[in-house]
Amino acid sequence: MSMTQDHEVRPAAVTEQHGVAPIRPRSSRSRRRAELTGFAFVSPFLAILTLFMLVPIGYAIYSSLYTTKLIGGTSYSGLANYRTVLGSGEFWSGVERVSLFAVIQVPLTVGLALFFAVIFDAGLSRFGRFFRLVYFMPFAVPAVVASVMWSFLLLPTFGPYTRLAKTLGMHNPNFFSSRLIVPTIIAIVVWEWTGYNMTILYTALKAIPSSLTEAAILDGAPFTTIVRRIKLPMLRPALVMLCFLNLVGALQLFTEPSILSAFQPQAVSFGFTPSLFVYNTAIGSAEYNLGAAAAVILGLLIGGISVASVSLRRRSGELS
Amino acid sequence: MTVMTRPTPRRRKAKQGPAIPVHLYGLPRGATVAATVLATLFALFILAPILWLVINATKTQANVYQSFGFWFARPFRLWPNLKELFTNASGAGVYARWLANTAIYAALGGVGATVLSALAGYGFSRYGFRGSRSLFGLILSTLLIPITSIALPLYLVYAKVGLINSIWGMILPSMVAPVGVYLMRTYIDSAVPRELMDAARIDGAGELKVFLRIGVPLMMPGAVTVLLLSVVAVWNNYFLPLVIFSRNSSYPLTVGLASLSHAAETGSKAQLVPVLIAGGLVTIVPLIILFLLLEKYFRGDALQGSVTG
Repeated sequence: MSMTQDHEVRPAAVTEQHGVAPIRPRSSRSRRRAELTGFAFVSPFLAILTLFMLVPIGYAIYSSLYTTKLIGGTSYSGLANYRTVLGSGEFWSGVERVSLFAVIQVPLTVGLALFFAVIFDAGLSRFGRFFRLVYFMPFAVPAVVASVMWSFLLLPTFGPYTRLAKTLGMHNPNFFSSRLIVPTIIAIVVWEWTGYNMTILYTALKAIPSSLTEAAILDGAPFTTIVRRIKLPMLRPALVMLCFLNLVGALQLFTEPSILSAFQPQAVSFGFTPSLFVYNTAIGSAEYNLGAAAAVILGLLIGGISVASVSLRRRSGELS
Repeated sequence: MTVMTRPTPRRRKAKQGPAIPVHLYGLPRGATVAATVLATLFALFILAPILWLVINATKTQANVYQSFGFWFARPFRLWPNLKELFTNASGAGVYARWLANTAIYAALGGVGATVLSALAGYGFSRYGFRGSRSLFGLILSTLLIPITSIALPLYLVYAKVGLINSIWGMILPSMVAPVGVYLMRTYIDSAVPRELMDAARIDGAGELKVFLRIGVPLMMPGAVTVLLLSVVAVWNNYFLPLVIFSRNSSYPLTVGLASLSHAAETGSKAQLVPVLIAGGLVTIVPLIILFLLLEKYFRGDALQGSVTG
């Protein structure tokens, strides 16, 4: 992202007083006034940001250092809660599960999105505009509703897709079994997000000057070469960003498994994903301090990945 | 969640040029057919669940399970199902109330997020003040904090100050949209000329007046995008309201539907399943209409900034 600071180049001759002043730098007083005005414009946002994000996070870190017992009340316990969370197999099994989920879901979503964006951009498919609209529709469907629909479609015995799978020769299909629950959630998330990813890639493709493609065609380059040598390199920043966004989303997976658990409670365990672990610990079991520690750990995990990816992109020169 | 491209104020049509005719790519003759077939298959994958929702909102509970999922079955129960949405049939709460709550949260949260983002984006874009660079960096870095790690802390604070079950506990955090600040800043950078602002100042306009008379009209298209993205984000939000609301009269649609689905699965007394399905249908219809009407504002470059949890 470019952060050009162009405020230095304002015409020096124009001052707060009327008309044209002798050419000299703005007086320090009017400069200070401009600074204050700027800060005044920013401050309402800062106030809400502080009250509803920074203060709560600070408080969560504070309370993660304490332990509340039924007898004896609340007492300082240092990093004990962190040790409990990090020593919990349940927490790590959730981390493992979302990592596995991400390894499959992210490339699948971005890959499908890329495939269709290229097809529509080149006009290879007919009715491209219609398809783009259809693919984007799930963006308007809350994850809760999407999960409810899919739960019914995949219901054991009665679900239409379950019946279809049986007709196609699958033996006793159960999409909520421990073997299939992760692929099931992957299908739901791919359904939800492919169109969104495709729209971003499509816009990025449209921004590539067509003269580049024309020149390649005149040189006799086949379509696959044009895609590989011209389109993909130009799409790289958008692709990297989408992979990163999808990854962060995948690690926070919560809504889909939480709704599926309403239909098949045994399919989704207490710590199925780290976010579910945080929720069930804090809200379900009312262990607020422990939940706070888990939330902090999750935040650090995801924040760490984000920082690493940003610095990676900065090093490769994609961010200035 | 950093954004790479700046949203351009006006879509430059000339830049794209005429589309290149497909036949020039020298692809085998079947390529167009194959591409269309694949695109159609994926469209079916996308449309089928929505179609299922529409069809099954018209069924009885028994027919949802027993009849063919992708075709209608008698009796046609759409109206009774919709009617039951607006009574407390499940004991889980009244759907109409959730719909109204969601509309309130989305409207106030969305407008608030847009106004705050516009003010802050304008401040960052048009006034350099000491520390503005690092402050902007700080705001962008809050994007890296996962929603789960914010909702629970909010709950802990609300429990202390008595904001549990308060609608402001939902609306005020929804106004924090760092992406909105980023989008507005980049938009204003290219859409609000300094010369115009300086000219107004020479005419004696104060800073607030410059903002209202020159800044606001010129930043409108960018603000509409931010508004739409924030409205959708609040409308779809599940985790935060799930954590901070314990009374079902405060629920938004998402949490209400989730509790309805729990009730539908566990309680066998009422015909709740088709009611739940009809509720899902009514939930997505406003957003799909909104999206179809305002499709041009959901542009790819603006979307890059919208990350919903």
